[in-house]
Amino acid sequence: MLKNFIKISWRRIKADKTFSFINILGLSIGLTITMLLFLFVIKERSFDQMYTNKERIYRVLFNTDEHRNNEIWATVPAALKPAVDQGVPEVQKSARLWDHDFGKTASIQVDNKNFTESKLYYADPEFFEIFQLDFVYGNAKDQLDRPNTVVISESTSLKYFGDINPIGKTISIDNDSKMEITGVYEDFPANSSLDGTIIGSFKSIGFYKEPSWSNASFETYFLLNKDARADAVISKMQKLVDANVEKEDQWYTLNLQPLENMHLYSSNIKSAYTSKVGSIEEVRNFSLLAVMILLIACINYMNLATARSQKSTKDVGINKTLGASSNVLIARFFTETAFVTLLAIIVALLFTFLSLPFFEKIIGSSLSLNYMLSYRFLLAILAIWLLTTLIAGSFPALHLSRFSPMEVMRSGRDRESFTAFLRKGLVIVQFSASVILIIATVVIYNQLEFIRNKNLGYNAENTMAISIRAIKSNSEKETLIKQFENLPEVSSVTMAQGYPGISVSGRSLYKNMNSDESISLKTNRAQGGIVETLQLNLLAGKDLPGQKQESDSIVDVLLNKNAVDFLGINPQEAIGKNIIANLGPNAYVIGVVDDFNFSSLRSPIGAYAFNNGFEPLRYMLVRFNSSELPQTLEKFKGTFGKVAPTVAFDYTFLDAHVEKMYAGERRTARAALTFAGLAIFIACLGLFGLAAFMAEQRTKEIGVRKVLGASVSNITGLLSKDFIKLVMIALVIAFPLAYWMARRWLQEFAYRIDIGWQVFAIAGTTAILIALVTVSFQAIKAAISNPINSLKNE
Amino acid sequence: MLKLEHIYKWVSSGGRRIFLLNDLNLEVREGEFLSIMGPSGSGKSTLLNVIAMLDDFQEGKYYFEEEAIHELKVKKRTEIFNQNIGFIFQAYHLLDDLTVYENIETPLLYKKVKSSERKALVADILDRFNIVGKKDLFPHQLSGGQQQLVGIARALIIKPKLILADEPTGNLNSKQSDEIMQLFHDLNKEGVTIIQATHSESNVTYGSRTIHLLDGSIQKS
Repeated sequence: MLKNFIKISWRRIKADKTFSFINILGLSIGLTITMLLFLFVIKERSFDQMYTNKERIYRVLFNTDEHRNNEIWATVPAALKPAVDQGVPEVQKSARLWDHDFGKTASIQVDNKNFTESKLYYADPEFFEIFQLDFVYGNAKDQLDRPNTVVISESTSLKYFGDINPIGKTISIDNDSKMEITGVYEDFPANSSLDGTIIGSFKSIGFYKEPSWSNASFETYFLLNKDARADAVISKMQKLVDANVEKEDQWYTLNLQPLENMHLYSSNIKSAYTSKVGSIEEVRNFSLLAVMILLIACINYMNLATARSQKSTKDVGINKTLGASSNVLIARFFTETAFVTLLAIIVALLFTFLSLPFFEKIIGSSLSLNYMLSYRFLLAILAIWLLTTLIAGSFPALHLSRFSPMEVMRSGRDRESFTAFLRKGLVIVQFSASVILIIATVVIYNQLEFIRNKNLGYNAENTMAISIRAIKSNSEKETLIKQFENLPEVSSVTMAQGYPGISVSGRSLYKNMNSDESISLKTNRAQGGIVETLQLNLLAGKDLPGQKQESDSIVDVLLNKNAVDFLGINPQEAIGKNIIANLGPNAYVIGVVDDFNFSSLRSPIGAYAFNNGFEPLRYMLVRFNSSELPQTLEKFKGTFGKVAPTVAFDYTFLDAHVEKMYAGERRTARAALTFAGLAIFIACLGLFGLAAFMAEQRTKEIGVRKVLGASVSNITGLLSKDFIKLVMIALVIAFPLAYWMARRWLQEFAYRIDIGWQVFAIAGTTAILIALVTVSFQAIKAAISNPINSLKNE
Repeated sequence: MLKLEHIYKWVSSGGRRIFLLNDLNLEVREGEFLSIMGPSGSGKSTLLNVIAMLDDFQEGKYYFEEEAIHELKVKKRTEIFNQNIGFIFQAYHLLDDLTVYENIETPLLYKKVKSSERKALVADILDRFNIVGKKDLFPHQLSGGQQQLVGIARALIIKPKLILADEPTGNLNSKQSDEIMQLFHDLNKEGVTIIQATHSESNVTYGSRTIHLLDGSIQKS
């Protein structure tokens, strides 16, 4: 019987190739999206599952008080670990991590070659006992026990030394410390939150000898005993804080986060070292999206299946008179659906395989093909197959097999107004979703264009920041500046603590000496030439002076307009004014520049001050005027290497950095565009099915009308009218929803576009045009058919 | 074989009853070849459907081989129908996606007949109807007469006691009609009871008895 069913299914697929093609294609596309989303979900859920002790590993969290906005940090004081080792027996092992120079890129020198490393950590020896990584060279025991030793990852070892065993060799970090390599560990897996490429011994850094309770800069991990409870540990940690920190200095409490929650539940946690932070909301949304798309694809399948119901109902009738029971027919329809679904799944697997790189680009994270072979995925596919068969097959199976043979044989119309309603409803929902996605795409693209073209208040083009952190002597820095100034490609050059787009120091600016009223002020130590290099708009006064004696206690300040506005004076009045901003008692305003976007356009511009105070100068900012970028870069690199041969040439283009701030939005735009396209396509398949169904139902009417003299265009118009009505309803539903959603999204930007009527006009016209094209294909087909054929069937 | 007593069947339209079968009485004995005649809308098809237990009636009694059909549940009725009755349609109603062979085999599948037995039965009937050479063709590759032949073969495969034929030659030319009727005649001789609804006077001559229907009642028997 089953064999027979499959045989019939296969013949039915072959009999109407166009129809089967559309049906299987629609289902495959839905399944492909579902599979891709599931791959993503599986990957996100697999994070940190590879560690043997994963249930017992915790990260210490740091809850700040209301003066710091109750932020949660992933970094805690260095004094915690030794105290916990002494006083909390539940903690079996503990280890601190410190991100090199508070998260700055390190310049590494190996055998006179320079490299940059952004994932250099320092860790306690217990680190490798908590996270049991395998070692390629050396063994996991006793690593990081001595000061000035490091272990490096396998790929780092390959990069530095090639295929040899590097144990015993030394590397130097930021021209400072020479470190001996004592081991090589296998790279952290891609789905591990922790991801160091070099791990130095904690004993190598100054914080080891004098751990404090106030500097919360260290990620700390615990391995608890088998039967230990996290809340007991938390309360004992609090006792340690009470014992070591005065009550009025306790601006924080401590908490524990299980390793298994680290990836998905950390989006609100600041200062974590890992860049691989997922979001449980995203996982939930994607799961929901996957189920919804699957559902829409299933309903589409039903829609198309019932479009052929006239033939099917006749089939059911005949089979019943030949002795088939309802159950047999239900089984037959389910078999047919299962068969079609299986074909669609095979096609979808192929699509998934082919579209994976594209999808990776959209979501901005890499998915290994290995996940496609994981038992979870295979299980998910089996579940999808059964579910799709059950849902998509339910309508034809239960609806059609119910008919009594007599009803069926009367060459009946579909009397069920409910199914007609369902089909129309589906088309409306699909088109609403499509229109919303079209509008979203247009709005996001417009906003991104707006950002790209907005005058930032400074000129990010043709400007680069070169890291000079590893250069220790001031004279070397000065030499470097001189050398660069002499290059013909360079129009101006200066040094600064930071540049627009990265974090600088945070201080408070007070209204006056006696006032408590203050605003947050970002301060950036810089040198003369900053106005020219960034092409800031100077409103009053002058640029910072070129040279300053180290002994000079006067700090010159270049305020932005926002800061001056807060002080309640105009730019001219501000010149020479002494300001209270923790910049020392002798901070005087030397100039005022117009506001510029020093952070992303999401936030409004705040107060900003360039100054020649005391922070280290970490970057050399260079404005160049050359179109031959590669040659210029080579030249810069050469000049840099001559002055500082032991420092890696690490540079950033300012405009590229600005672009990077909107990478998330760009990704959203790409996703919206893709999903809009697919949603429209699937919606069109639904519409196509509906149109085919209606045309079939009205064959006789069309025949009669043609005999009475209706033209092809009359008939086409008649049939299209109904569908345009549906699309119109969809527009009415979609417009307010889309407007509301777009407004909400734009709220995140302090600088944003207005949503004009044009957006709606574009989306509406697109939807109607696409619908018309889809429907008219069927309508014209029906209209040009010979009426004799449709009428003689009675 | 079967007996209908005071059968009433109606549909309501605008508050009024329109009678499809109106106090209809009929007895058919085993081995009869009954022809039902009457103008369009007189209730021929309705009567056949009632006899086939495919359609309900509102009042009256129906006995099929002593079984009181009007008292039975749908499932039981279907069972009796499937065991005893073969139905032949004017429009053939072959399954388009199946070959001739598979069309004829289908009722056996539903009766869960074993594969070897199925093969033998289908081979027999193909042979008897002289359509062995056509067994792998699909319905649309056959002429109307050939399609009806397949339809009859399919109805006969379960060896029914009673064959109901609703205008079996309505779509055929006179030569094909005569062939089909001759076939019915032969089947009847072998002991199969046949009831046909027809417009054709020439078809009637093959039968053993004729009744005339008008407005859902028998005119003369």
